[in-house]
Amino acid sequence: MKHGIRVAALADIPEGEGIAIDRAVTGTDDDIALLRDDDGCVWAMNNTCTHAEASLAEGWIEDGYVECPLHSSKFCLKTGAVQGLPATRDAVAHRVEVSDGEIYLFPRQKS
Amino acid sequence: MANSVVVVGGGIGGVSTIAALRAGGFEGDLTLVDAGPFPYDRPPLSKDYLAGNTEIKDIALQTPQWYDDQQVRLITESSAAALRTGLGAVELSDGRTVSADRVVLATGGRACVPAIPGSDSSRVHVLRSAEDADRLRAVLAPGARLLIVGAGLIGAEVASTARGLGCEVVLADPVSPPLSAAFSPDVAAWLHSMHEKLGVTTVRAAVEAFSETAGGISVTFARQNQAQTFDAALLAVGMAPETALAEAAGLRVDHGIAVDRRQVTSNPAILAVGDAATYGAEGVPVSRSEHWEAAQYDGHRAAAAILGGAAPADSAPWFWTDRHGVHVEVVGALGNADQLLQRGLVGQPPFSVFALQGGHVVGAVGVGDSTAVRAARRLIDRGVTVDPAQLCDPATDLRKLVRERSTEGK
Repeated sequence: MKHGIRVAALADIPEGEGIAIDRAVTGTDDDIALLRDDDGCVWAMNNTCTHAEASLAEGWIEDGYVECPLHSSKFCLKTGAVQGLPATRDAVAHRVEVSDGEIYLFPRQKS
Repeated sequence: MANSVVVVGGGIGGVSTIAALRAGGFEGDLTLVDAGPFPYDRPPLSKDYLAGNTEIKDIALQTPQWYDDQQVRLITESSAAALRTGLGAVELSDGRTVSADRVVLATGGRACVPAIPGSDSSRVHVLRSAEDADRLRAVLAPGARLLIVGAGLIGAEVASTARGLGCEVVLADPVSPPLSAAFSPDVAAWLHSMHEKLGVTTVRAAVEAFSETAGGISVTFARQNQAQTFDAALLAVGMAPETALAEAAGLRVDHGIAVDRRQVTSNPAILAVGDAATYGAEGVPVSRSEHWEAAQYDGHRAAAAILGGAAPADSAPWFWTDRHGVHVEVVGALGNADQLLQRGLVGQPPFSVFALQGGHVVGAVGVGDSTAVRAARRLIDRGVTVDPAQLCDPATDLRKLVRERSTEGK
């Protein structure tokens, strides 16, 4: 756990919602969206949709997917895999762990 | 099961058909014939692409690699000349033939050119393809005088883009406000009023004639004595389905290529999707949803029909439009509601309007309010009843409401 960044408390994100963590905190190229599925699990991926300038943290989160708030492309919460047009590229997924009600992010650094 | 499929037309309908065929396990030969350099996305043609913010390669619907990965034979800068389904083949414009057990027509539409005298002038534009956008872009210099005929979605988007490029824009439409049924009257009026606020001149009039002058094109409006001169005009008055191939193949055509609910035409070996196709209930054409996602869903249904699988679940129709910096989305229909409920204040984004019929949500429009529209879509699709007071209270968490109401229904 010591290499993860404590970014939020689980209680900060209601089920079916997301928040964006600033890149200044994550040290990544893009902000990272923490997305909480309606089953309570938290997932993380780059916040900007791979198609247009939209924040996935503001998307609709349901049944393992987040739907972009602009043009409705869907991404798999676990893997970031794009499910349909207009986006054509997968989102970069990051590892998250929850411990004692705290969310720790393990940003995948750019290669 | 078919061994070979040829899809004619590489818009969103054609490309979605192919993607859904492969995703559904189709292992036969798959060919996509397209007139352009490669299949590209059309919504940006009136927005970022027209503005010069993106290049054609940036709006490709799929990467070149994708067609290889999906084992799709992509034939570009070409078109189908004839459908020889009796022989199991499609004849291309260059004389080649491609074998096809099934053909999917995704031929889209042409921009309507109304019978206005002088509309054949080179200063009169239409906007359907990237070439059209390039031609129009070339005249959108700062200070250029542009007349847009028709204040529908395309006309309004181009007005916004052209204004952003510094053009002097006049937007003419005999209806005021336009798109009242699509957006609901108050939202339509507010959206239309944005044009004037952003420096576009709106004129409530039809155009009677164009005539070329030395320095431009002179336009006569109905019931106005004085003609006005512009550098260019854009006709944005709707589209006509491209049905020539279908007609030549003897298919039934009625306001578009007639298809059943599975996108199959009057010839069982030929399907049609997107703007070219018209679904008819009991032989009567149903109004076509001439939008991006509707064409995508058509492609999914066509693929399911070819694969012999179950059709994907229907969802309420949805579209978006962008103008003057606001993102507008509509789901379902707002035209036949008992009740229109505002959530937030019309004119102060984010806001939305929900349309209700007998306690059920049947439509919604949102301006900068994607969550409300996505919530509405699920409420429509799941057929759940809602408390109007809860729905229009901005304090209500719509995600939570949908989740709770959906669970109760199960």
